[in-house]
Amino acid sequence: LDEWKTDPLVDPEIRAHVYSLITALGGIGDDGTYALGDDALLCLKDLRKWLKFADGQANIRDVARCMAEANLVKGDLLEILAKISPRVTQDKLKHRIAVSCLELLVPLTWPDEIDPAEITYNQLRHGPYMQLAQIGYKRAVLQFDRARILQTAVKIALPAMAEPLRERTPRDEGIIRIALYFLRNIAMLSPPSNVPMDIDEAEVSRSTTIDTFQEQDIFQVILSVASSIGEDFVTQDVIILEILFFLLKGVDAEKLFMLDKKLSSKNTNELKDLMQKEKAMLAGYARHAPTRHNRFGTMIWVKRDDEKVSTISGQDVLGKAQKTMEKMDTTKKWNKPRRGARKKDDEEQREEFDLPVHLSSSARKHLKAFVEEFLDSSFNPLFLHLRKAIEREAGRVETRHSRQYFYLVSWFLRAECARRRAIKERATDPTSSEVLTAEDESYGLVAEVMNQETFILLNRFMQKSQDEKAWRDLNAGMKCFTQILLTVQEMSESATDDDQEIAENIQNRIFYEESTHDRVVGILRSYKDQGFGYLDACTELSHVFLRMLERYSKQNVDLQVRSKKRARKIRKKAAQAQGQEGDDEGHVSETEDIVAAQRATSERKFDFARFAAKFINQSSVNTFVAFLRFYKTLDVEQLKRAHRFFYRVAFKMEIGVLLYRVDILNLFNKMIKGPEGLDSASSSFREWDEFVRHFFRSVVKRVQERSEFMVEMLFSKIPATMYYLEHGHDRDIPTR
Amino acid sequence: SSDTNLGIDEEIKIVKQRRPIPKLDDNRLLSDAGIPRLRKISKDRLRFKGKGHEYGDIARMLNMYQLWLDDLYPRAKFADGLAMIEKLGHSKRIQYMRKEWINESKPRHTAGDSDE
Repeated sequence: LDEWKTDPLVDPEIRAHVYSLITALGGIGDDGTYALGDDALLCLKDLRKWLKFADGQANIRDVARCMAEANLVKGDLLEILAKISPRVTQDKLKHRIAVSCLELLVPLTWPDEIDPAEITYNQLRHGPYMQLAQIGYKRAVLQFDRARILQTAVKIALPAMAEPLRERTPRDEGIIRIALYFLRNIAMLSPPSNVPMDIDEAEVSRSTTIDTFQEQDIFQVILSVASSIGEDFVTQDVIILEILFFLLKGVDAEKLFMLDKKLSSKNTNELKDLMQKEKAMLAGYARHAPTRHNRFGTMIWVKRDDEKVSTISGQDVLGKAQKTMEKMDTTKKWNKPRRGARKKDDEEQREEFDLPVHLSSSARKHLKAFVEEFLDSSFNPLFLHLRKAIEREAGRVETRHSRQYFYLVSWFLRAECARRRAIKERATDPTSSEVLTAEDESYGLVAEVMNQETFILLNRFMQKSQDEKAWRDLNAGMKCFTQILLTVQEMSESATDDDQEIAENIQNRIFYEESTHDRVVGILRSYKDQGFGYLDACTELSHVFLRMLERYSKQNVDLQVRSKKRARKIRKKAAQAQGQEGDDEGHVSETEDIVAAQRATSERKFDFARFAAKFINQSSVNTFVAFLRFYKTLDVEQLKRAHRFFYRVAFKMEIGVLLYRVDILNLFNKMIKGPEGLDSASSSFREWDEFVRHFFRSVVKRVQERSEFMVEMLFSKIPATMYYLEHGHDRDIPTR
Repeated sequence: SSDTNLGIDEEIKIVKQRRPIPKLDDNRLLSDAGIPRLRKISKDRLRFKGKGHEYGDIARMLNMYQLWLDDLYPRAKFADGLAMIEKLGHSKRIQYMRKEWINESKPRHTAGDSDE
């Protein structure tokens, strides 16, 4: 007790009050089980008041910290819930006690979102301790062995849920809300990356959460709430959305629907690939490793121009000219200061959804069953309801919800596509008895997110997040749009005519708006330091979009697009007309004219070549170069994406000058020839080798023809001279 | 009293100036060791072997750039130096010079045509 006085981390008075309340709550009774204190209910209410008024209003965390130190959750609350769980729905008093327990548990497990503008010293001091304490809570809830805590929480809310929507009292609604929020908090809490933990991470991992949800029938609850949304439940949609988001983010939807056998073979292949990669890497090092001990003390001279020499030590460079050059470079001590690198570590950005999560096989099985049922019963009603809520900006919808909404749309679309593929595979397999039904064939299960309303909302959302520089939002939007495009593509390859027709219609609508085309190009061009997840998403979007648009415009030669008319001319005309008619007509009509003029749109024929030309320019090349710099960690699919782009630039569109830059050549050279290049046994290597060789040949040829390239190779090209560099003569300007 | 001792007793503070760090700016890039030298050495020394030797040719070219950059600005690593130069290329002055260099190497007769 003395150390509390000398170093009062929390107000001693608060500590005394909270501790006495916790002591009065109850303890181990005569029979060895937990016995409630006489005024347990009042104690619980008081504790809640402390939490609410002391912490909530003064913006401090003292009470929460005292509760964590006093082991309130594990020692008392969970014990109480376990004790009264069997008769909680029959006994009024017990029900009230249980509700009070939940009312304490929910704020204690509530994720700390501290607004940096209003952060207090007190919050900062208690932050890390509380984070760890919350993980401890999650562990206690999941691992509690005497009762199913999550199920008990649902049980508490059952009487309220059973009431029809119209007859529910506000108190009933409140009970349902806290029960669902409790589930959300448990799903949401994840071990902090910046604080070391002394508990086993497996005990609080996603797999454990999923297993526990399955074991305590929580998935059933989610399904029944989600499927009757709009009828029995209204305001709960966003909480369900959050629960789903925190359960599913980072999980690979494709892997979820792979057959076990196939998955294990895929995993073995991955392991094999990784080992092969490592072997190649080690071999690469061994090739350049010294063959004698490290004090052998070799020193060499490199003769340079103008009678100069450089000295390099180490025997590893002997007889290897290329290695010498590298060593001269790497031994330099100065590094170019990187601006903004320290400003944000993109930890937070990645944490949202670009961090892959691995599941144990039992968790995978359970989650798969849940996702299938969810798609069958609840996807359409829930996502329709959510879309409407987001559209009319309902009070319960917060900014993060639309991001989560679009992320989940993309996730479920991907899952549905993967599932259909799995079903088809099984149907074509002669040994299985499954047959394709009409229902399996149709895309009705995800129809609610493939309609015009969703596209409009998505377009608006992407435009808004781009304007506001909300990159995480834009990332989710891009993922969603990409997935919609891919789904439409699968739909157009479907066997039934109806689906093909629908796909055709959707494509018509997507490709009709020229503003969509411009947005995709704009996003790709304006990449700057938004992190790898964003980079991956924007390159994938543009890759998929360009490919599908190309195919579509080939099929529909007379494709029309709606483009914004240039407003300037019309405005000028309007202004002239105004001037002639006299100014007294008033300002009102003039501004109206301008607005109308700006809105004016017209249809015109779509020209793919023109669009592709707009697509390929210096900044989009820079974006893809930034993407390719990660070549060591890119997978086959991503490498292919970059390859197609560069191939298009260099050979299809024939503006290779965009790539004539020393840093790009250096990158290509390093990828193929090393050190630390692509693994030469991989399938992507051959593709890239061919492209780079081909490209290098054209570079050498050009440079020999025109020596000015030697200087221009250092810089990004200027539009004024680009044409000349590409063609060797100036653009013919027709003269009269 | 302060004006009687004429400030003689006051200690003179010697502030040592830090030696300025040499910069890779457009002046340095346009100096003799910069682009003019690059234009010269690329004409004199660079020889390509042509078909079948693509990687070797490009590697030789990259090495030439690296050594040139090391002479010009020894402080920076190759990749860093390239990034700095690329950035300089956005300035008005360098852009003007780039156009000049391109015009210089354009075939003579087109210039003659326009003169006449």
